[in-house]
Amino acid sequence: MEGFSIKIAKLESTMSLYGREVLIAFAIVVFGLILIKWINQALKRVFMKLPISPAKGATVRNIIVVLMSAALLSFAAIQIGLDARPVMRFLAILTLGAIGMVVVFRPLIPSLPFKVGNTVKIGDLLGKIEATTILNTRLRTFDGKTFFVPNRKILDDIVINYHFSDSRRIKINVGIRYDQDLMKAKQVLESIMIEDPRVKPKPGPVVYVLNLTKNCVELGGRCWVDNMKYWVTKCDLLEKTKFRFDNEGIVIAFPQLDVNYYNKSESPVYAGQSRLQGHGASFESTTE
Amino acid sequence: MKISEGLKVIEKGWIIKPKGYRVKYQKLVNSELITEYSPDLEDKPLDSDVVAWRYAWKLYVATKSDSTEISDGELINIIVVDDSDNPVKYYATNQLEVFNHKENNV
Repeated sequence: MEGFSIKIAKLESTMSLYGREVLIAFAIVVFGLILIKWINQALKRVFMKLPISPAKGATVRNIIVVLMSAALLSFAAIQIGLDARPVMRFLAILTLGAIGMVVVFRPLIPSLPFKVGNTVKIGDLLGKIEATTILNTRLRTFDGKTFFVPNRKILDDIVINYHFSDSRRIKINVGIRYDQDLMKAKQVLESIMIEDPRVKPKPGPVVYVLNLTKNCVELGGRCWVDNMKYWVTKCDLLEKTKFRFDNEGIVIAFPQLDVNYYNKSESPVYAGQSRLQGHGASFESTTE
Repeated sequence: MKISEGLKVIEKGWIIKPKGYRVKYQKLVNSELITEYSPDLEDKPLDSDVVAWRYAWKLYVATKSDSTEISDGELINIIVVDDSDNPVKYYATNQLEVFNHKENNV
């Protein structure tokens, strides 16, 4: 009990000597942190309007925040009564140590296979990376949903980064009926791809006969476009393929069913002929 | 002839690949019919003829009038042209198409 009262007395004397400085330093730190947060948000809004990538903007903001925080802590320490020079030395050592640790251990630290702004597919999730933190990654899908994906799940899962390469290959697969002009269909499909300014001349567009199925002759058009224009170009090429094939008189195949109706006592009647009335009629069907 | 030279001959002669598309139209300004482009000639052209034709159709629907006379703000003779100002066939019909075709009776 006596030891406790001695400690209280010591605390009282310390507070009476340094209390004012401690309170001022505490207030400086609190208001300083609030100010730094406000400046960070203002910088974020400014950088969004500038023509720089979100990742670079985030890096610059983080550097500014770290420098301001270091200055704030130094000022608070000096306000308490510490000497300026040792405080600065301590901060410099801390900074150099942190930089050294990052340089040495960075290759060993598992990093995420994308940057902010990349379009990625993580498992079943397809969207754009909005932000990454130490624990999770914020991903926004194209229909507006926001997912917070734990980083450990990303590191254990297969990730497709659509921004990793500049170009991407489009597949235009179309089946034509067996009685159609195959050479003409190939030429038309190839010309559709060549004419489009977004399709790269190298590697040039090509058309292959992929398969002879029971329903159709399957053609496969392949061409390369810029990654950012992949989706819209693919949709446009599909639309133009349908229209151009129709205009050129090339029939796109689809599964059909022929129904042959015949009377047992009479000869079979095929589709397109007049129907015979009678008892005991039956029919057979074939699929193509 | 080397294959690379042959490919250049084919590229030059077989299919013309435009560098971009614009919507070309006419409108009345101070009783005078003027020709304009969208996007402007100084701006980058559209890289898709599908987009260009859709844009042209929307301009036509937004500005058309039922009168045979050309009214204020109406865009007439709307077509899509390439970077060399050559008319481009409408991809849906594979024919040259003109939206809101009207003669200049001013």
